[in-house]
Amino acid sequence: MADDPDNSVPAEPEKMFTLKRWNCVCFWNWDVECDVCAICRVQVMDSCLRCQADNKRDVMGRQDCVVVWGECNHSFHHCCMSLWVKQNNRCPLCQQEWSIQRMGK
Amino acid sequence: MSAAKKYKPMDTTELNENTENITACLKKVENAAAAAAASTLGRSAFAAQNMNSAASTNGERLPNFSKLGGHHGEIRTASTTSNLLNRMGAIHNSKPGDVKKIVIKNFKAKPTLPDNYSEDTYVKLEEAVIAIQLSKPIKYSLEELYQAVVNMCSHKMDAQLYAKLKELTEQHVKRNIKIKELTGGSLDKLVLLEKINHWWLSFCQQMIMIRSIFLYMDRTYVLQNSSIHSIWDMGLDLFRIHFAQNNVVQKRTVDGLLTLIEKERQGSTVDRGLLKSLVRMLCDLQIYTSSFEEKFLDATNQLYKAESQRKMQELEVPEYLQHVNKRLAEENERLLHYLDSSTKHPLIYNVEKELLAEHLTTILQKGLDSLLEDNRLNDLTLLYGLLSRVKNGTSELCGNFNGYIKKKGRTIVIDPEKDKSMVQDLLDFKDKMDIIVRNCFEHNEKFTNSLREAFEFFINQRANKPAELIAKYVDMKLRSGNKGTTDEELEKTLDKIMVLFRFIHGKDVFEAFYKKDLAKRLLVGKSASVDSEKSMLSKLKQECGGGFTSKLEGMFKDMELSRDINIAFRGHALSNNRDVHNLDLSVSILTMGYWPTYAPTEVTMPPQFINPQQIFNKFYLEKHSGRKLQWQPTLGNCMLRAQFDAGPKELMVSLFQALVLLLFNDKTALSYEEILAATSIEDGELRRTLQSLACGRARVITKTPKGRDIEDGDQFDFNDEFTNKLFRIKINQIQMKETNEEQKATEERVFQDRQYQIDAAIVRIMKMRKTLSHNLLITELFNQLTFPVKPADLKKRIESLIDRDYMERDKDNQNQYNYVA
Repeated sequence: MADDPDNSVPAEPEKMFTLKRWNCVCFWNWDVECDVCAICRVQVMDSCLRCQADNKRDVMGRQDCVVVWGECNHSFHHCCMSLWVKQNNRCPLCQQEWSIQRMGK
Repeated sequence: MSAAKKYKPMDTTELNENTENITACLKKVENAAAAAAASTLGRSAFAAQNMNSAASTNGERLPNFSKLGGHHGEIRTASTTSNLLNRMGAIHNSKPGDVKKIVIKNFKAKPTLPDNYSEDTYVKLEEAVIAIQLSKPIKYSLEELYQAVVNMCSHKMDAQLYAKLKELTEQHVKRNIKIKELTGGSLDKLVLLEKINHWWLSFCQQMIMIRSIFLYMDRTYVLQNSSIHSIWDMGLDLFRIHFAQNNVVQKRTVDGLLTLIEKERQGSTVDRGLLKSLVRMLCDLQIYTSSFEEKFLDATNQLYKAESQRKMQELEVPEYLQHVNKRLAEENERLLHYLDSSTKHPLIYNVEKELLAEHLTTILQKGLDSLLEDNRLNDLTLLYGLLSRVKNGTSELCGNFNGYIKKKGRTIVIDPEKDKSMVQDLLDFKDKMDIIVRNCFEHNEKFTNSLREAFEFFINQRANKPAELIAKYVDMKLRSGNKGTTDEELEKTLDKIMVLFRFIHGKDVFEAFYKKDLAKRLLVGKSASVDSEKSMLSKLKQECGGGFTSKLEGMFKDMELSRDINIAFRGHALSNNRDVHNLDLSVSILTMGYWPTYAPTEVTMPPQFINPQQIFNKFYLEKHSGRKLQWQPTLGNCMLRAQFDAGPKELMVSLFQALVLLLFNDKTALSYEEILAATSIEDGELRRTLQSLACGRARVITKTPKGRDIEDGDQFDFNDEFTNKLFRIKINQIQMKETNEEQKATEERVFQDRQYQIDAAIVRIMKMRKTLSHNLLITELFNQLTFPVKPADLKKRIESLIDRDYMERDKDNQNQYNYVA
């Protein structure tokens, strides 16, 4: 393999230190403006209240309870929002017509 | 005859033997005639048989059968045997249907006894009885005597005969008891006892003999009159009356017995046969309970009361217990050998009471702690065995056991200097106590529960620390490098840890520390075994439910997902980009919220780092839209290839160390300020990093001036003379005094979380109750909250909620709160 450190010839042999491997750590979170879902009042990083109660997270991983962004850029749990729109197809925060801009993956 | 047989006077086989001997001759005669006629002739033959024997036996017996004859009034008698046989022949010869009746007639004259028969017989029987009583030979044959009794009875002289016999017996008893009394005064107790025993035994023998002779009377006259005693009972009765009435003899006998028993208790050997025989005598006379048992128990009580008081002072508790055990065994043996079994309960009860129950508290207070301390299993088993026999014994023992655990456990837990060994000590202590409960206390449920309760009590005597140390202990066990333990052993240790964990009230503290350590293990890849980690997780889940572990599980899941993403990324980078060819990049992508929080830091990174990072960022966000990544430079590590004069080395370093070292590629000498400006690592952190590189074990750069601490203006040079026998060198980071500060931070976080929980609980309760007094609210809170809290903390939270308008004080009653919707 080309990036195997033992086989590769250093490009600049006079260099005293060459970076060979980097194990790094990063955190991810949803790219949201408000980190609490306005519908269930739970942080969007956590599963929504309903999913927590059903303990879905244990079985399916958190893919189930993703975040959804509207055109208004407000974000909610997808689970919460899909229930909300059945009653009222407006954003609970700004009352704009609700249409999904993007969905978390 | 053996002693045993003598004491079974009612034994039927023996009776039968006697009877048979006497009546054997009767039967012989009868059989001869009966053989001929019995089967065919039925009723008439029966009559004939009687007549026949009546005719052929001696005169004395006649009256006996004349009675029978009288009963069959209608039978016409044939006078001789031959006559009868002839007739029978005739019946046989005649044709069927031609039946002739046999008619048996009564005697013409009723047979009578000789005139002086009853007087003579009385005399004869009296002589015989007296002879028996004096153990002299009897003039008459036993058969003759028996027949005499039968005849007397048949002629309704049984009542007089019985009275006569009773009188004779009574005289005999009186005579004897007088002798004993006379001689008793001067006799040694033992000799007296032996005499009485002898007298009693011979009396029994005599009564058996007499009864055999008077058997017929016993079976007719006595049976028909329910108010009179059988001959045997009559004998006993008389014996009893005179023995019991005669206080001197009775008292001396009982005293003698007690002296003998006391001697035996003091260890001398005594004649148990004699004791047994005399005790049986008392039983048979039915004066055992009244005259003996009570005194015996009294004596026992006194003896053991004095003894236990003395021994308690003289002996250590284990020795005392051995002694008690020995005593009980002795008493049981005594019961087995000579005492009446009815005494068993009161005797053993009394001994136990005097030896144990009275000293229960002293025994436990004086001895239990040291027994437990020294793990003296056998003595503890004995203690349990003995105490379970007395009232309240086990509960007292249990209480003291509980007290010991609490006291001892507290010393383990409370001392901060013993923190290092606390968990191991606790585990050992628990093991020890478990073994004691299992082996010594018969796995008694009361003790198991008490053990549990005591552990729970003392472990929570010191808030938070035990939980933290248990978490640390688990970390130590699960971290790799903990060699020498197999998976099974580890599993066992974890199980034991879980037992301790169960006792802890502040489980959130444990969780916080456990999480922190787990994060470290996962990120540095230091976990000893994934299976053990998973097993620990499932144990926690079982114990505290899915809510407790869901975040911990999330951490494992993150690690798995990261692995997949890295594989995908490597494929992606190979096909699209050359920048990362020489860098082996692996990223751990962690879900914010699952992991412990780390303070975000910003550093300046050279393009070697920035480029691959950006490529990865792009790659990742394409896959997962809507997310953002936050890089954590404090975590993670690098491998650098270094060229020294002595040859190349591989250095395992932290990101900060790598950033510093890479600066020397462009310039071999750098000042502290230059490095600080180039990397913008936080000041303290940078000093520690430089220290690790220039003052640690592997000094890849040199510092001028030399010294342990990094000062402003220090100069750093690349150390090209660096040598090390290893090719791959790990340069350790110098840890911030993290233990204390980080610990504080973790604790702080736990308390923060608790505050929210308290708030939530208060609001929950108030929402339900609407109005509630302060005290009731506090009580409810204590019930709901799973971690230890101080009332003062609760008050603060209530104040805070009032400030935030979740609730208010009642206007009229300051101690009452109202919920504000």
